[in-house]
Amino acid sequence: MSSIAEKLRVYTGLMPAVFVIGVFMIVPIMIIFVYSFLVAGDFGGVKPKFSTDAYVQLLFQKNLFDVSEFNPAYLIIAFRSLWIAVVTVLGCLLLGFPVAYYIASQPEDRRNLFLLLITIPFWTNLLVRTYCWILVLRDTGLINGALINMGLIDEPLTLLYTEGAVALGLIYTYVPFMVLPIYAALERLDVRLIEASRDLYANRWVTLRHVVVPLAMPGMIAGSILVFIPALGAFIAPDLLGGGKNLMLGSLVQLQFSSARNWPFGAALSMVIMAVVLLCLYAYARNVRKNGGGVQH
Amino acid sequence: MTSAVKIQALNKVYPGDVTALKSADLEIGDNEFFTLLGPSGCGKTTLLRLIAGFEEPTAGVLSLFGDDISTLPPEKRPVNTVFQHYSLFPHMSVFENVAFGLRRLGRSDKDAKARVEAMLDLVHLTDFAGRKPSQLSGGQQQRVALARALAPEPKVLLLDEPLSALDLKLRQSMRAELKRLQKDTGITFVFVTHDQEEALAMSDRIAVMSAGEIQQVGDPSAIYEHPENRFVAEFIGDANFLNATVAETTPSGTTYALDAGGTLTGPDQGRAKGEAVTLFFRPEKATLSQVGEGPNQLRCTVKDILYLGNSTDYWLALDHVTTLIVRSKNQTDGTVIADIGEQISLSLDPAALRILAT
Repeated sequence: MSSIAEKLRVYTGLMPAVFVIGVFMIVPIMIIFVYSFLVAGDFGGVKPKFSTDAYVQLLFQKNLFDVSEFNPAYLIIAFRSLWIAVVTVLGCLLLGFPVAYYIASQPEDRRNLFLLLITIPFWTNLLVRTYCWILVLRDTGLINGALINMGLIDEPLTLLYTEGAVALGLIYTYVPFMVLPIYAALERLDVRLIEASRDLYANRWVTLRHVVVPLAMPGMIAGSILVFIPALGAFIAPDLLGGGKNLMLGSLVQLQFSSARNWPFGAALSMVIMAVVLLCLYAYARNVRKNGGGVQH
Repeated sequence: MTSAVKIQALNKVYPGDVTALKSADLEIGDNEFFTLLGPSGCGKTTLLRLIAGFEEPTAGVLSLFGDDISTLPPEKRPVNTVFQHYSLFPHMSVFENVAFGLRRLGRSDKDAKARVEAMLDLVHLTDFAGRKPSQLSGGQQQRVALARALAPEPKVLLLDEPLSALDLKLRQSMRAELKRLQKDTGITFVFVTHDQEEALAMSDRIAVMSAGEIQQVGDPSAIYEHPENRFVAEFIGDANFLNATVAETTPSGTTYALDAGGTLTGPDQGRAKGEAVTLFFRPEKATLSQVGEGPNQLRCTVKDILYLGNSTDYWLALDHVTTLIVRSKNQTDGTVIADIGEQISLSLDPAALRILAT
């Protein structure tokens, strides 16, 4: 009897968490899942009729004669998105690691100040901040203006509406998500290990490679996940900085729910993105388990 | 004696004008087990870190087998360190930890493997090569740290209180182990500790340090029997101090009149009559008896008796302010020499009486 009461108490205690996860995660995902198997309504929304068309549409297209043929357009968008997300992760790693390392090597009171500074961009709306990059990158923008004024170039460089501009915007947006977990890992790092490494004939770079980076790896992986997932589905930076020709998955999804009015297709795209992300996380989790739970402190 | 480490007028001042080392001069011989002994904050760890290269001297010269290494970074110095908390790389196996230095020196895989195996054999950890440091006990980690530091065959091995984190029994067995390792490898050991017993048991020579200064350098018995000043006398073992003036000097010995009353005779140490001196003797050098006989008798009252197992400490009041401690070996039958409150005679061999520089 008491064990039933015990269980009841445990479950009651878990209710708030179950409620939050259920209402804010499970239910919306279920709705997306259901919508992805329905038929698009004429003016948005869905008709309650089962169909796998949305998934077929990912790879195939009906031609004039109503015959399905392979259409790589969305696949290209998917690979472009993956590619840009990977570039974003690498960019954030290259930029975030030195920043995190620098902050972690500061005296304690200054570390907190720097961490506060890292969060400053979040105080302003993302849309506004991304717009500012247009001012920087466009033909008459800051960079081109400066280069022309210095006489280094005659014609403005095409910076805006390129994949590079998208990656830059994404790196700018997500680099704090990389800095913070790497900082957390480096902050726990015992400086005496660095001394031990130097003592054993490793110079600064070798120490960085063989001691600091491996020990910061959990933070780097956590940061990479935190950057990769939103970068894959991002649509503000791709929309504003990539122009029309560099469509990414996030923009594509957004398009389906707005002007294209194809909710089932947007839902199907979302499910596919989620599946890809889950596969990546699964691979990571398996890797961590294999390595005995990562680094122990 | 070839000097392995030679420091000349070495100074270390930390930001904020904290002097950690005041113009130290020291020579450490090749193949010597040398100990830097002192309380925390005395500068012994700073001196070790200066030799390792983790700190840069503010002034002075530091040379290793004749080469000035004052400005070399730690990775360029042929010295290795056993750290106080071992500082093993947590992401590497025991094998990789020990191989770390060898790989940095560019040894071939085959060479490194043979050397690591020899080192693990030396510290009896052959079966643990594949483990991670977190899977080892404190004593085992300690031995891995030793193997790791010895593997690249350093010219000097620095040990920063390596035994302080171990429990008593393990610490005692590691003392013998370290001494054996030093003799077997022939490497100069510079050992830092605050534990005087450890220092006396292991060292060929000891430098006693206090407040950033080297107080005395000598072999363990010289440090114990002939301390040069009050700090050394007090820090190593227990000590009795008596203020006195020189009463009479003869070629055979000097007689001192104690401020607390009574006289003591000791060997002639070239002091002039009337000079104020501090006398010193070790608690175990004096004997107690009910009726005093022979030279150097002091009548005292027993204030306290501390039973220590193999010996007993008698706390004796010479007058209202002067307390002396006499350590007496315990008899098998458990007889007590005196009880608290009793009057007793302390007698001291004149040869055991020392004068300290104040």
